Amino acid sequence: MITIRIAPAVVVFACLVGAPMVAHGEPYLAVQNGYKCVACHVNPTGGGLRSDFGIAFAEHLMAAASLPKDVPAWTGRFGDFLRVGADLRASWTRTDIPRNSAQQSFDLDQIRLYANAQIVPDRVALYVDEQLAPGNASAAEAYVRLTNPGGGWILKGGRFYLPFGWRLQDQTAFVREASGVSMTTPDTGVELGLERERWSAQLDLTNGAANAGTGTGHQITGQIVRVEQRYRVGAAIAATQSQAGNRRVGGLFAGIRTGAIAWLGEADFIRDAGFAGGARSMVAGLGEADWMIRRGHNLKITAEYEDPDRAVAENQQTRWSVVYEMTPIPFVQLRFGFRRYVGIPQSTLQNRRVLFLELHGFM
Amino acid sequence: MAPTGSSWICALTTSLVLLGGCAGNGDGLDANGRPLLPGGNAEGPLTADFASIQAHVFTPVCTVCHAGASAPQGLRLDATNSYSLLIGVPSTEVPSILRVKPGDPDNSYLIQKLEGHASVGARMPFGGPYLDQATIDVIRQWITDGAMPAAMGTGARFAALAVTPAMQDIEVEAPPRIVVGFNQELDQTRIDASSIRLERLDRGTDMPNAIVPVALTVPSGNPRAILVTPAQTLADGLYRVTVAGPPETGITSLSGERLGATAAAPVVLTEFRIAKTP
Repeated sequence: MITIRIAPAVVVFACLVGAPMVAHGEPYLAVQNGYKCVACHVNPTGGGLRSDFGIAFAEHLMAAASLPKDVPAWTGRFGDFLRVGADLRASWTRTDIPRNSAQQSFDLDQIRLYANAQIVPDRVALYVDEQLAPGNASAAEAYVRLTNPGGGWILKGGRFYLPFGWRLQDQTAFVREASGVSMTTPDTGVELGLERERWSAQLDLTNGAANAGTGTGHQITGQIVRVEQRYRVGAAIAATQSQAGNRRVGGLFAGIRTGAIAWLGEADFIRDAGFAGGARSMVAGLGEADWMIRRGHNLKITAEYEDPDRAVAENQQTRWSVVYEMTPIPFVQLRFGFRRYVGIPQSTLQNRRVLFLELHGFM
Repeated sequence: MAPTGSSWICALTTSLVLLGGCAGNGDGLDANGRPLLPGGNAEGPLTADFASIQAHVFTPVCTVCHAGASAPQGLRLDATNSYSLLIGVPSTEVPSILRVKPGDPDNSYLIQKLEGHASVGARMPFGGPYLDQATIDVIRQWITDGAMPAAMGTGARFAALAVTPAMQDIEVEAPPRIVVGFNQELDQTRIDASSIRLERLDRGTDMPNAIVPVALTVPSGNPRAILVTPAQTLADGLYRVTVAGPPETGITSLSGERLGATAAAPVVLTEFRIAKTP
């Protein structure tokens, strides 16, 4: 029974890893181009402020059309010590829930400002990811980063996002919700990282999202990724000790490119003793294909699976997404997508459909 | 031979079909995907009481994320934990604001997050769909009515469960009303103006030096609460709220049990201070 239930996630994962194979800030860009996250982002674990190369990539390689040569392009640099950047996402969303009226709205989903100050070049930096919207300003990330240039060691202390699996743009993906590690759940603590030519690894000791305000418990998170030109594989673990109960999460993820298509997969296995009715074992899986139709045009198809409690039969959920991403000019992206949730018939929420149009400006 | 583009499309389609066929058929489950138990399903329309809100909102919507040992902000909204983690508990994002402040939905972080005007972070439920205003209004009503817990078992002794302002609270603004919640339904026919007394205490002796006229109402939809509304805006000072002992009317449950039945002395529900200027 258990084998049957986890099979879909394993099949997709196996397809993605085992298939002979094939690539833009989403992880599929890194897979399509064979880059590590640190190639385009200041943060070695990806996301947030873009590096010199990341800006150049966005300007010259990511968009359908380049800027005219006489237009001065954004560099993000303010002198030798300070780099800044930003992301803005605004959207229109329509949600159809069976037996309910449709909801639709325009939203300002996110405004973020990033800054990285090199206090001692290549050795000590201060990084801030300030979220200006929604809500008032708050620090999503704020940490000091110590780097050992020759050895590739990196030590972070402060508040930051944890490394676990694919750092997807969509924080409602099943693997991000089920793992409990996403860009909605920054944590506070320390992270020791190692960046080698083909390897990237992190080990974190943090409070744990569930321990906010309790003054008890902790979380240990670890991740290791092997990056090759055509593929990458990674494994991640997270162990949380909290008043609610202990939680263990293991994740396997991989990406590969075949021609114009980048394939991403992730399978997460969770054991959570924090539920009132007893511990639950959960599984979440993601399979994603990103087809770069031509420069500046990407079609993303995603299939997801979640079993929220393996001890309960017939409660699994799936989600399908088709998203078209167009980057007409550098630093501006339009995303148009449809998501279909399929769950148990008695839950209307688990069977909703979402249509969205998003404008993403970044620098 | 190298795989062609069409073979990859076939592989993708196969993977999608495999995944798409995996959703559960829900046999033997309630609307929240849990095994059916007697009384386990959300029955009837959403009403302004905790059990109904738990069944219609917290469990099916919020526990997608807010459950287990990774619940964001440590806020678990499953039926076992939600009440104790909501009522009177400071929010972790803005500790100066309680997650649920009984009697005051505008200053309850739960409402601010659901309506999308909290000072920190995204509107909830994260990523939508958001609750419609009618549903939020029901939650508002529950908070206005004192944010009472689910009805207690019939064996529970009649008692006041929560009072806002709570004992020893210091209010920087005069509360427009005092909310008293009980664990059983009240006999509304036996409530009159003398049932609950609001007294202002003398600064030096803590003895009552004035009685503040109040109006007592039982909110519609929550027969386990009393709203005590002062006839005038309360000035700075120390106040005490009591339930009169025999022979006065006092408070009686629908089953006939009288609050503090064995005590002739008044039952003190709360004492709080108003200090508009520090």
